[in-house]
Amino acid sequence: MTPTRRAVLLTLPLALLGLGVSIYLAYEHYSTSATLACPDTGAINCVKVTSSSYSELAGVPVALLGLVYYVGIVALCLPVAWRTASPLVSRLRIAALAAGVGFVFYLVWAELFRIDAICLWCTVVHVSTVVLFAVVLLLAALAPPAAGAQPMATAPARRGSPAA
Amino acid sequence: MSSRTPTSNSRKAADRQRRAGELAAERAHAERRRRLRIAVASIAAVALVLTGLVVASVAGFGDGADDPAAASTSSADAAVKAATSVPPSALDAVGAGTSETPPTRVPDARAITQDGKPQVLYVGAEYCPFCAAQRWPVVVALSRFGTWKGLGGSESASDDVYPRTRTLTFHGASYTSDYLSFTGVETSTNQKVNGAYEKLDELKGEDARTFVTYARPPFISGPAGSIPFLSLGGEFVLGGSQYVPDVLVGKSRTDIASALDDPQSDTAQAVNGSANVLTAALCELTDGQPHNVCMSTGVMTAAKKLDAGS
Repeated sequence: MTPTRRAVLLTLPLALLGLGVSIYLAYEHYSTSATLACPDTGAINCVKVTSSSYSELAGVPVALLGLVYYVGIVALCLPVAWRTASPLVSRLRIAALAAGVGFVFYLVWAELFRIDAICLWCTVVHVSTVVLFAVVLLLAALAPPAAGAQPMATAPARRGSPAA
Repeated sequence: MSSRTPTSNSRKAADRQRRAGELAAERAHAERRRRLRIAVASIAAVALVLTGLVVASVAGFGDGADDPAAASTSSADAAVKAATSVPPSALDAVGAGTSETPPTRVPDARAITQDGKPQVLYVGAEYCPFCAAQRWPVVVALSRFGTWKGLGGSESASDDVYPRTRTLTFHGASYTSDYLSFTGVETSTNQKVNGAYEKLDELKGEDARTFVTYARPPFISGPAGSIPFLSLGGEFVLGGSQYVPDVLVGKSRTDIASALDDPQSDTAQAVNGSANVLTAALCELTDGQPHNVCMSTGVMTAAKKLDAGS
């Protein structure tokens, strides 16, 4: 399996999962939230979380932020993004996921310490963000070293060819 | 001295190339190990933070457990939990319910804010049965805009009308919200000392001025200084309770709080209905935020009651 294929197989399903749940949460935010498939009493209470004051940030629904975020993450996990040689894409992918993990910290803190309820659907998005972050970091760590190191190893073969 | 043969030279060159290749491979390996260490450390840090948050939550950090005011309210925990998490479906199904007296709009209102947010001011006393009734919808309504801490249990006086009406108390409670601020003043306890109810919180400063200005006709229907008194950002005021407390008499706090989940119950009709009317008024102060609260069926329905009463 090529490195690109492995990266796509590991990240794209997670990104699509996050996007799917984000679409669902955004839809529920703009509808009545009454159809959220989740208990609405006790510690597991999606509606309490999605209708709390923490469901919006500076007037923008967090569900909408999640949707926009995951559209970007899916784009960064597409085969074409993994194939690109530009280090910018790789850095952007890691930076976006690190920012996502930071936001997950904030949302989990709000759920546990301010709202006193856990939203199962939100947790799916949180888990996919954290797992994606871990997978992308490991893929970046295991990738071949930067292009600058390559010629030393490959140069002798190239130089030796004419003499053979 | 040119004894070196081409074969010897090419062997040396091949050795150099091999060593260079080995060195490059070693460097690449070391670089990969370094990056792997950083990645694993980052992942471990993320896992550690998330585990820390969960452990701290389970251990009760941040829930006011070390706060004496919160500790004294532990017996009311179940009621507080239920009253602060009434399902939106139960509120939507009730609409205005049996709520009778809506807050009235203040003509030429002067916005009253605290920390840059519209201030909800409650003035009452623990002995007062109408205050006991009114606290329930205040707690339910404000829970939709923010979070309560340190709410405790209380009851009205046993020698007054609607004796021992079970309720929550704002004494020692705090409220945080992105949209509103809250000040709750319980001026007296429900215990008499030398024939008078013991003093509790002091009404002072701007809050006292708001009370003196608006807790009188024509802003409220009762006599001047009536409690409970509510000012919603200085734009709406309410004197007395929104419903008659008889629906609560003889019920425990837990009974009252758990009945809020059942839209058919008398308690939910009165408390949730009043909470929806209050929420409709509060939504005017927050410019309709949060959207899903202010646009909910129950609040939209209750808003008609608000307009009918202004």
